[in-house]
Amino acid sequence: MLGELKELWKFRELLVTMVQRELKIRYKNSALGFLWSLINPVVTVLVLSFVLKNFMYDNPPANISAYVLAAYLPFIFFQLSLMDSAQTILTAMPIIKKIYFPREILPIASVISNFIHLVLAMGVFFLYLLAVYIVFPGDWPLQINTLFLPILLFISFCLSLGFSFYISALNTFYEDIKYVVGIVLWLMFFITPVMYFEERVANSDVNLHSRGWVYMIYNFNPLAALANAYRKTILAPPHVKINGVETKFLPLNWTYVWIAAGVSMTILVTGYATFNRLKWRFVERP
Amino acid sequence: MIEICDIRKEFLVNNSGARSLKTMILWWHRRKLQHHPVLKGVTFDVKQGECVAVIGRNGAGKSTLLSLLARVYKPTSGSMKIHGRVAPLLELGAGFHPDLTAYENIGFNAIILGLTRAQVRERIDKIIDFSELRSQIHAPTRTYSSGMLARLGFSVAVHVDAEVLIVDEVLSVGDYEFEQKCVRTIEEFRNSGGAVLFVSHRMDTIRAIADRCVWLHKGVVRKIGTPDEVIPEYESTPLETDEKR
Repeated sequence: MLGELKELWKFRELLVTMVQRELKIRYKNSALGFLWSLINPVVTVLVLSFVLKNFMYDNPPANISAYVLAAYLPFIFFQLSLMDSAQTILTAMPIIKKIYFPREILPIASVISNFIHLVLAMGVFFLYLLAVYIVFPGDWPLQINTLFLPILLFISFCLSLGFSFYISALNTFYEDIKYVVGIVLWLMFFITPVMYFEERVANSDVNLHSRGWVYMIYNFNPLAALANAYRKTILAPPHVKINGVETKFLPLNWTYVWIAAGVSMTILVTGYATFNRLKWRFVERP
Repeated sequence: MIEICDIRKEFLVNNSGARSLKTMILWWHRRKLQHHPVLKGVTFDVKQGECVAVIGRNGAGKSTLLSLLARVYKPTSGSMKIHGRVAPLLELGAGFHPDLTAYENIGFNAIILGLTRAQVRERIDKIIDFSELRSQIHAPTRTYSSGMLARLGFSVAVHVDAEVLIVDEVLSVGDYEFEQKCVRTIEEFRNSGGAVLFVSHRMDTIRAIADRCVWLHKGVVRKIGTPDEVIPEYESTPLETDEKR
């Protein structure tokens, strides 16, 4: 693996160019360009918040869309990186067949370009929080914990990259993978606390009956742990009343974040190894 | 500069096409992977300042050989050593993205071939001048003709400080003037110590620029020698058809 990394370092200029190219091509023939990567989360969150506020919560916290966005932006990054990575090798096949470069640059560049979109979207999100604070002065939206955000972003990046290695390599041989990924991601959206709070899981009947096991297993999912962590590091705990009682919000449990970090690293290393074992066979795929 | 020692390459040919679950269940007894040897032990070398042409009928393994040298494939067995940076030109516009402009593509291609971004900025004007395509340099390459793509590809390949140039039948689509320019450039390239390995079906081009000629026949080297030794024999060998085999 060290040799592969050295080779990758030799081609770092190509990686940078590839990312630039990726960013350029993505919205090349569209009138709104980069705005598209903001329109998707904004529209989704508008609809989600409307539904949550009016149909699902009795006493929704004020500014629920901020809580949804804080978890949804990282989720959509994960989703897009995985979906994009499935096709990276296949669309680059004409180049791969003609010229040598470390193949892993393709999924890496794809994930990095999605990551740049995530960071930009986060920037816009902070502007939005600031605007809300100015218009409706209330709690200062950010916390001291927000300083941990880079760590969370790094874990998210490694997790996405690891899965992207697996998916891009395997999908080159079995194109079923991308359909499986599509379904799994769709289900992931529901078992990740994006449109609800993890406190609902902790206080659910099924969790109380299982003596807390459900909540624990739920948090072993790195996506769930990360969604929670993003929400709780960026935003102050909301004031909610459930059944007329002011409900206490759980503080962020860092254990689960570190477990997510461990899982992410494992997936990154094994994914890279798998990719390297398969990469010479890409051109010869039947 | 290039040492090729007993190189072999086998491809696995799957006669039922892509492997899906359906074909696996329905045709499991018929599905077999066939080994299809393309190169069966090829040995030769290219020295510094030398220009070697590879000739042979379609399917003799010429393109596979060049792809191996370009590190697109890994050989099944055997070894090859290349000293210096390789600029492979395996197909027109390989690595050109059709939606990007020629200008952007030049940069991208040059970086794959090993230049840094700073070097690309320095040289891009020279490359554009060489290709003689300045008036259309900001048009997307999907609007380019095959001759124009060949010009662009060749112009990049000779400006990346490569020591070894590997060319696969690219030059034959350019017009006469550009071909002459390429021949002159290859001549200069050799004089400065570079090595050239190319595939062509044009015997007059080979006679003009090649020092040696490697005749590949069904995956083995049939004859190596000067073009004057090899070409007459090659041309007088009747084309074998499938029935005769």
